[in-house]
Amino acid sequence: MQPVVEFANVTKSYGNVTAVDELNLRIEAGKFVTLLGPSGCGKSTTLRMLGGFEIPSSGRIMLAGKDVTRLPPNKRNVNIVFQDYALFPHMDVARNIAFGLELQGKSSDAIHRRVMELLELVQLQGYSRRFPSELSGGQRQRVALMRALAPDPQVLLLDEPLSALDAKLRQQMQIELKAIQERTGKTFLFVTHDQEEALTMSDTIVVMNEGRVEQMGDPKTLYSRPQSVFVANFIGDANLLKARIVGGDDTRMALTWNGTPVEAAATGRRAQPGDPVCIVLRPESIECSTSPLAGANSIPGKIRQRVFKGNHTSMLVEIADGSRLMALVHPTDIDSLSGEDVWVRPAGA
Amino acid sequence: MRNMFSDAPRAALGACYWAFFLYLMVPLSLMMAMSFKDANFVAFPIGQWTFDWYVAVVQDKQFLDACLYSVLIAAATTAAATVLGVWIAMLIVSVGPRGQAVLFALACLPAVVPGMISAISLRIFVSEINLPTGTAAIILGHTVHGVPFVVVMALTRLRSMPANLVDAARDLGADSVVAFFRVTLPYLGPALFGGMIFCLLLSIDDFVRTFFLGGYRPTLPMLIFARVQGGMSPEINAMATLVLVVTVSVGLYAEFLTRRARTR
Amino acid sequence: MARMVRSRLYRSTLGAVIETRPGRLVLLTAVPMLWLVAMHIGPIYEMFKISLFAGYPVEAHAAAGLTLGSYAIFFRDSLYYQPLIRSFIFAFGATAFTLVVVYPVAYYVARIVRPEGRSKALLLLLVPFWAGEIIRTFSVIMLLANRGAINALLREIGLIDRPIPMLYTSFSLGFGLVYLISLYMLLPLYSAIEKIPSHLLDAAADLGAGPFTRFRRIILPLSRDGIVSGCSLVFLTCIGVFATPILLGGPSTVLFPETISVFFHGASDRWPVGAAFSLILLVSSLITVGIFMRLVGGRGTKV
Repeated sequence: MQPVVEFANVTKSYGNVTAVDELNLRIEAGKFVTLLGPSGCGKSTTLRMLGGFEIPSSGRIMLAGKDVTRLPPNKRNVNIVFQDYALFPHMDVARNIAFGLELQGKSSDAIHRRVMELLELVQLQGYSRRFPSELSGGQRQRVALMRALAPDPQVLLLDEPLSALDAKLRQQMQIELKAIQERTGKTFLFVTHDQEEALTMSDTIVVMNEGRVEQMGDPKTLYSRPQSVFVANFIGDANLLKARIVGGDDTRMALTWNGTPVEAAATGRRAQPGDPVCIVLRPESIECSTSPLAGANSIPGKIRQRVFKGNHTSMLVEIADGSRLMALVHPTDIDSLSGEDVWVRPAGA
Repeated sequence: MRNMFSDAPRAALGACYWAFFLYLMVPLSLMMAMSFKDANFVAFPIGQWTFDWYVAVVQDKQFLDACLYSVLIAAATTAAATVLGVWIAMLIVSVGPRGQAVLFALACLPAVVPGMISAISLRIFVSEINLPTGTAAIILGHTVHGVPFVVVMALTRLRSMPANLVDAARDLGADSVVAFFRVTLPYLGPALFGGMIFCLLLSIDDFVRTFFLGGYRPTLPMLIFARVQGGMSPEINAMATLVLVVTVSVGLYAEFLTRRARTR
Repeated sequence: MARMVRSRLYRSTLGAVIETRPGRLVLLTAVPMLWLVAMHIGPIYEMFKISLFAGYPVEAHAAAGLTLGSYAIFFRDSLYYQPLIRSFIFAFGATAFTLVVVYPVAYYVARIVRPEGRSKALLLLLVPFWAGEIIRTFSVIMLLANRGAINALLREIGLIDRPIPMLYTSFSLGFGLVYLISLYMLLPLYSAIEKIPSHLLDAAADLGAGPFTRFRRIILPLSRDGIVSGCSLVFLTCIGVFATPILLGGPSTVLFPETISVFFHGASDRWPVGAAFSLILLVSSLITVGIFMRLVGGRGTKV
């Protein structure tokens, strides 16, 4: 299938600073795709290049098979939801949403119908005559979304649109955004630095770092099979153990960690025996017990810190070589771990 | 913290304020009061009161003509100064910081040059470009004087405008011209309107430029000036009072509008 | 608007121009730059050019040489340089007096009036601002004339028999100037004083500063920007005032603008002298303001 968006060797630099470095990216139609990365990783620049606000230094950007690399924003069929919404303060909700439709030369009848249809989609029917200053943050957010959807873009771009909302509202909007995406079947390209947002909504996550793609895949794969230390650290909490390969096949690897033999799932990258690797151990997949656990990989340690988090307690366990592991303990198990000594074991490893 | 200022200095400062207010108001009130004096010379106390001078003023052909002329010039000046001022402001916000400083200083120059010097230099300038003194020369001179004020008003507002409003308009299919007329200009809206009225009053009140650039047809300040020099009469007071009431109310209205725009 | 943009006429003209980067650049730059250079610099430049001519208009077969003769005339006759000195004295005096009178008023509005009342308190003072130069000057005559309000009042309460002549003197001129310009001082002072965060004053008070010390060590230095711009504005306005001295002053209070205007009334061949005198006035007043700004302002006290 032809991708709806394709970046081919796109580089963007400002003077000596390279914001996006030889980016290659194919985005399938109808998917919720998230560009995830820390600030300055080039994700916003990527979005702005697709929107037409930045012209790449080199490379090509294709939109539905058409080269749009140098087209101005008003000539390409993508629309953007801005971080602070950029609603026109002097127009009411209906006129904000109608703006793009008017410029497409639609009849006023058609515009009216489309605006009402969109307002209904986000349950803002009664608000068409309100001005942006009279709306709450969440309502503004929805209007900005509808304004960008109104001209029926091939791709909808969302530039950290949830960052201005408070935590509760943000979670609610995540679910609503995903629902709207599914209902409209549009391709959403979402930019965020918040891994939780990315995991909640995306079909595909593109993790970016220093202008390059670190890894691309569905949320589950990224979480359970990170291909780099950066991805492992950026998505979820991770305990990293430096180890060396001793052998294995495509799915399992035999490793050695501080002389202890360990077995782990392979990432899919080719590696030779003797190569250094990092084992990623998620805090929730560490089992803790006061006595040695059955099976391989059981390690003794000492509890250095307990932090009560409500639905779990996070524990810092110092193991023999002095490295510290973070482990999550269920409330029902915490009482038995009152002493200092503990045995830990990677669950299911 | 209530006793941070003990009450004595507080009261003294309040007295200063009201004294200053009186100082500003007394001469103007006296001028207005005198317009009701029932005698054909200017002297206090007023004694008999009358409305006759107002009847005389509104039938005074010269006065009515001067009103019309002043308004005409002010309207043309305001239109020209607004277009130019906004255009210059748009240029200023789109260049780099050093260019901004240079252009801003250049744009404000006519507001800094003392009135007399500005008038003389304009008089020489119109003669150099073979423009006869009269209506066109006055409008040109007033426009030069008005542009800096429009620039400052427009710039203040433009700088407070979120950068991505124009981006959003462009994203939704507007080219630069449409984005300007549909988004930037309405955003400037009320503040700009205040600036325009300021410009209007600046032109109506201007004396020195009109004096040197004008022909034989007098504007309002020219007419009043000539009458005052020709000899005092309560009719001048009535005339000045009418002009004062109109300009002050327009000015206050503009002030009200810009204030409201600022709080939006 | 949408229909206009989609029309063929638009798309083949303006629409086509802004398609290209140079087109947009020209559209944005051409008119403003032309206006700024021609109309903001042009007149001053022409004035400078003419001040170097021997006569104006330049006669067809006259020697085309430039001369500083018009500038020399200024120093030759006390009739010329005295009014300039007088202009400066009046402008200095009026500026200093206005600063002292208006500062407490601005302070009162900016710091003592409650925030929601401030714009009303300010607006009350702005009323006379919208009356023009001529009307405000004229109203001063009502107050100071021989049969004006003050003399009438004094006679009424029996303090004087004959009116005190106040009009057409230095006093009436000074009074009129201050009356004309005091509001130009108010606004810059007000906005500077209003910007001073009140927690700075609380901090100073907390450290033991009394009201006077707080004023001298905190308020005054931090309102320096307002003082500088207010004084500069008032000074430059005073220097360029033309009608007020004619209406309120007498033969012994001729200011420089009136001197200059003489060269433009009669035979026009005196224009170079008038132009030269204007430039002398412009340069000397700008230098004065420059020195003032250097001395008082700009020592990096931004809050």
